[in-house]
Amino acid sequence: MARLNTTRTRDQELPKLSREICNRLLQDLERAKRPVLYATKCSLDNALYNHKVGFLTPGEKKVATELNVSSVKKMSRAIFFLEILLRNVETGGVNTKRELYYIAKGEIKHNSTLKPLDFADQDESDSSIDFICELLECYREDLNCFANDRGGQTFSQQLIVTETLPDGDVATIELSKLGTSPFQPKNRPQNLKLSTKKKIDFALIVESEGTANTLVANGFTKRHNCILMGASGVPSNAVRGWCKLIQDQLKVPLYFFGDLDAYTLQNIYRTLKAGSAASLIRNQDYSAPEVRFLGVLPEDIKKYDLLDYPVKENDAQEVRALKKAADALKNDPFFQDKKNRGLTDILNWLLKNKRRCEQQAYFTVDPRDPIMPEKIIVEKIKKGIFV
Amino acid sequence: MAKASAKITTSSTAEYFSKNLQQVGFSSSVKAVLTTLKEAVDNALDACEEHDILPEVEIWVEKLGSGSLKNSDKIRIRVLDNGPGIDPEDIPKVFGEYLASSKFGRGRCSRGQQGIGISAATTWAQLTNATGARVVSKTKNMRKAVSCVVEVDIKNNRGNLKVKETIDWDRPNGTSVEFVIDGRIQLNGEAGLLNYLSGTTLVNPHLTLHYNLPTATNEEGAKAMERTTVERVSNVIPAIPDATEPHPHTMKLGEFIAHSHLFGRVKVSAWLKKGFSRVHEGTLKELVTIGGVKKGVLDKNVDAMNETEFKDLFTAIQNIPLMAPSTKSVLSIGEEALSKSIGRLGAVDFFSVVTRKPTICDFKPVEVEVAIARLEDKSIESESSVQVLRFANRVPLQFDKAACAIVQAIQTVNWRAYGLGQPKDALPLGPYIVAVSVVSPFIKFKNASKETVDASDELVEEIRRALIQAGQRLSKHIRREHKANELEEKIRHIEQFGPILVEGLARITQAPDSRKKKAEEGLLKLLGREARDAEAQLKDAESVLSAHQAKTKGAGTVVEGSDGVPVTIEADDDVIDVDTLVKGTGKEAAKKASKSSGGSAKGAPAKAPAKGAKASSGKKPKIIVSKKEKSKQAEA
Repeated sequence: MARLNTTRTRDQELPKLSREICNRLLQDLERAKRPVLYATKCSLDNALYNHKVGFLTPGEKKVATELNVSSVKKMSRAIFFLEILLRNVETGGVNTKRELYYIAKGEIKHNSTLKPLDFADQDESDSSIDFICELLECYREDLNCFANDRGGQTFSQQLIVTETLPDGDVATIELSKLGTSPFQPKNRPQNLKLSTKKKIDFALIVESEGTANTLVANGFTKRHNCILMGASGVPSNAVRGWCKLIQDQLKVPLYFFGDLDAYTLQNIYRTLKAGSAASLIRNQDYSAPEVRFLGVLPEDIKKYDLLDYPVKENDAQEVRALKKAADALKNDPFFQDKKNRGLTDILNWLLKNKRRCEQQAYFTVDPRDPIMPEKIIVEKIKKGIFV
Repeated sequence: MAKASAKITTSSTAEYFSKNLQQVGFSSSVKAVLTTLKEAVDNALDACEEHDILPEVEIWVEKLGSGSLKNSDKIRIRVLDNGPGIDPEDIPKVFGEYLASSKFGRGRCSRGQQGIGISAATTWAQLTNATGARVVSKTKNMRKAVSCVVEVDIKNNRGNLKVKETIDWDRPNGTSVEFVIDGRIQLNGEAGLLNYLSGTTLVNPHLTLHYNLPTATNEEGAKAMERTTVERVSNVIPAIPDATEPHPHTMKLGEFIAHSHLFGRVKVSAWLKKGFSRVHEGTLKELVTIGGVKKGVLDKNVDAMNETEFKDLFTAIQNIPLMAPSTKSVLSIGEEALSKSIGRLGAVDFFSVVTRKPTICDFKPVEVEVAIARLEDKSIESESSVQVLRFANRVPLQFDKAACAIVQAIQTVNWRAYGLGQPKDALPLGPYIVAVSVVSPFIKFKNASKETVDASDELVEEIRRALIQAGQRLSKHIRREHKANELEEKIRHIEQFGPILVEGLARITQAPDSRKKKAEEGLLKLLGREARDAEAQLKDAESVLSAHQAKTKGAGTVVEGSDGVPVTIEADDDVIDVDTLVKGTGKEAAKKASKSSGGSAKGAPAKAPAKGAKASSGKKPKIIVSKKEKSKQAEA
């Protein structure tokens, strides 16, 4: 069967590592010794942050899963899924989590002895996949399990992307020739090579993909040597990996432009810059530590007389975000780092004032000038008004 | 211009109730049938108990056709008892006059209290079918029975007899009352007749009940009647304790003065000591020293007291600390009787019963009893709420559940601690019956139809304590069962997943069969150890339960010998086996019982051995009875 996807060295190690773990389990069982599996604990209480490293890294804590009557089902399911995933890795097959759920159901359907393993819903099969990733300390993308592409629509007049396809062919994508269509990075953008026709001054990541499209339609990328990208909310692995690639390969300054609220700051910007606690083991490849917070900043509200509004007390999501922000100030090592004091100040301001301001508020500055947001963004970059 | 005010008229009590029958339980067609039946049965049982007769009641409820009211049927309800019968001159008062009662304000734990219910049923029959209650009654002294129709003279609140005749009756004494009313028969559900009947039999272990209810529709479209008999499981007639004198702190000034009029010309000091409970010589001294009452007042004659003196005396006595009212006037069903009776609800796996000591709630003596049973019927969903049976003075309560003290108390208990599922602030879940009986000479009902017990904090707390005790006893069984399930689950897990795990590992590592086999053996060893641990835990749970049962085998329980002599078995705690209770009807059982208790057998007059073996035939439920029963039995 033809290989559908190239694999990195790490991927080649995974089948070997898996077999080693399985062999160890089998040996323990042969000796009637209780096997124990150790996985990295992926949670905030095991997250470390050092601004010199730039992203959240795992601490010492491990989750030990001992084989006993209660865990035998979990382990059996994990080994069953590992077999399916290894088959994919070895043949280059690619699947989404949903597809893997159906593949697992199919295997069980055709083999009645596996019936006890049956998954009631996708959540159950997803947790088996996640458990395997924690055991092997890899990303699910390493096991050829990809999420649906979301976000990351990129526009530039200068950027050229070179992709080596699984069959060895090389595709060169010149973004300036795509017209109004954006370039969208795949789940594993690490395989791409970037080059430029001209020197690029900066890369701008906009929280709302709609606003990013508006800026492009109004000529942002024509007037500036830049890369403009829409994040579409909480950045997907593709967006995170893509930003990391731009940062590492092009060495251009990166700016994030989004709403001024607790959710954006902690869930979107923090994830883009330093990764998340849930993905401690993959933050290294999925975070861009050099990205800066361009705004909306609290001082922008006053300076540009932006339209802001109070956090609605009856909006559960907003109230929850504020509560989470208060927790983050106490427990999140990213916000506790001295280097991120500027961001901490913003969180404190949000908690104190209980107000929020959206990125689209820049359109209120001069309603008749469609490029006013662009002017403000560029002015802020030039004057260094960012955190 | 303002209209001249309308002429003020007065109405009779009967007139008031005839216009407000919804207040006394006739607010819907379904309730009308149930209330009528309930009132007739209550009267029958009260009468039997008053005259030391073991009640045997037969009930007929049948549909005769369409009713005169919209969406109603014409229903015939007949209740026949073996009670003492009613003197012919009392029949119009009993069935046709409101507030004419032998029980009103007596402070005894009888079912009926005010003398409203049965007259209201007669009124309902009269209003909907133009005929009152047909009564047949015979006392022991009468050669022939009296048959008549009683109607309520609504204008004058009087009962009128019609079609009075004397007839031959094949029984020495008893009463039959028959109503033809508009209503609807609902058999099942919380407000159903069957629920009422099973509740009534539960809290009246000494009752033999025959009921004739409609079942399947026959060829003519009418419902066929089916006769069911529920035999009594106890031959002990609960003695209704005599009322105690009123406690001064439970009275209002008006009542206080009115109470004095009952005593004629006696000295105030004598009146206080004789007419009230918890007032003695020391109290009188305190009235003078602490309350500031002049000594001369106490020496005065009661009928010579003026209003100011009464007021001063009343205020002084309210400010003096007195002992709480006596609890002697409450009656209890008893744990043993409840234990026997619970089998009549259906097949049960296990159950626990608790009789609390009488206590004072809101200055009224109250006794709470709880029975919790797990039904064998596995078709009952474990996710549905438990079935709650509420009783006030041994009368089932079937409406307005949410506001009732009993339901509120059940909801406040953390049933999860005893192994039952329970959503937050709700009834517990599972195939259980939770029966709670509140007995008091002064039950605070929320309404005249006596559907809900007022949820005062003290009463809710008292019920809650009883429930907690019952829950703790029940949890021993549930824990044992839980451990057994755990063991079964563990073994099933090992058998299911072990081979799959090893197979998967062997495939990934491409291990030979020899390794696979060895690993399988190792896995079984490993998981088998856990199964053995679970087995040990199960054994522990079983030994806790059996130790608990053994320790208390025959605790304070009356076992009837074949000669009908009850034998009280002394023991110090609360579990006895069903075999001892129901099967041990012979001398052997009595011997065995006395042997195990060190031979302390107490005699008391008794009838034939209990017929309650039905309750325990087939699978025998375990019965838990506490030592408090001992004192109750002694009283009985």
